[in-house]
Amino acid sequence: MIGLTAVRQALDFGELMREHRGMVFSVCWHFLHDRDLAEEIAQDVFLSLHKNLSGIETPAHAGFWLRKVAVQRAIDAARKRSRRPQVALEDVGEPSVGPAGGDPMLGGMLRRLIATLPETPRMAMILRYQEDLDPREIAETMGIPLGTVKSHIQRSLAMLREKLERRGVGER
Amino acid sequence: MDWLEQELAQALARKEPAAGFDARVRARLNRRPQWLAIAATVLVMLGVGEAWHVRQQEGQLAKEQVMTAMRIAGGKLNRVQTHLKGTGQ
Repeated sequence: MIGLTAVRQALDFGELMREHRGMVFSVCWHFLHDRDLAEEIAQDVFLSLHKNLSGIETPAHAGFWLRKVAVQRAIDAARKRSRRPQVALEDVGEPSVGPAGGDPMLGGMLRRLIATLPETPRMAMILRYQEDLDPREIAETMGIPLGTVKSHIQRSLAMLREKLERRGVGER
Repeated sequence: MDWLEQELAQALARKEPAAGFDARVRARLNRRPQWLAIAATVLVMLGVGEAWHVRQQEGQLAKEQVMTAMRIAGGKLNRVQTHLKGTGQ
């Protein structure tokens, strides 16, 4: 009891925000491809964390909780946005901090191809390659069966390979 | 991980939100109590208004009861007076 109280007291909202803002914002940004909307939802996620901080037991629990809420909020926002006119992906700017290493042209192409995937496989791919989660963790975060996650990832990878090959991009 | 998965991991690397994110979240947190205070004030005002209305109704009812009691008492007094006059004659 005393130990749990001590852990709870150690949870500092500012510290959690510094540690997880990149993860929360990136889940929203990669999923929505809209920087302003991604920022707004990321803020909402942290406001929600602040409200529910008393129910968070450990820093690891906070990370899991934030990821799960970010995933749900991003999916909800995409559904709401689908009823409004959208900006073409080619017109969407990248956040100021770009990915370290890799081919920027290929990176942009991959992000655009991922943006064409339906909601569930798109989020599964983001959690797999942005967050480096294994399929079991993705299933737990998204609340869907493990088999569904595995098949979405396999099919998405196959689709990406096929489209890249058609564009003449292959293993280097 | 094969080459495609490595490229995906780099393409989907985490990105930080624009500078000042923490301050913007804190600003929204500080805005919240104002809305709560406004909501609380409205609720209190509604409560006070309702209490005032109930009191008004109770006052009106009490007034009507007093008036009815006076009318009844007046009627009885008239009857007694009439009876006394009849007895005197």
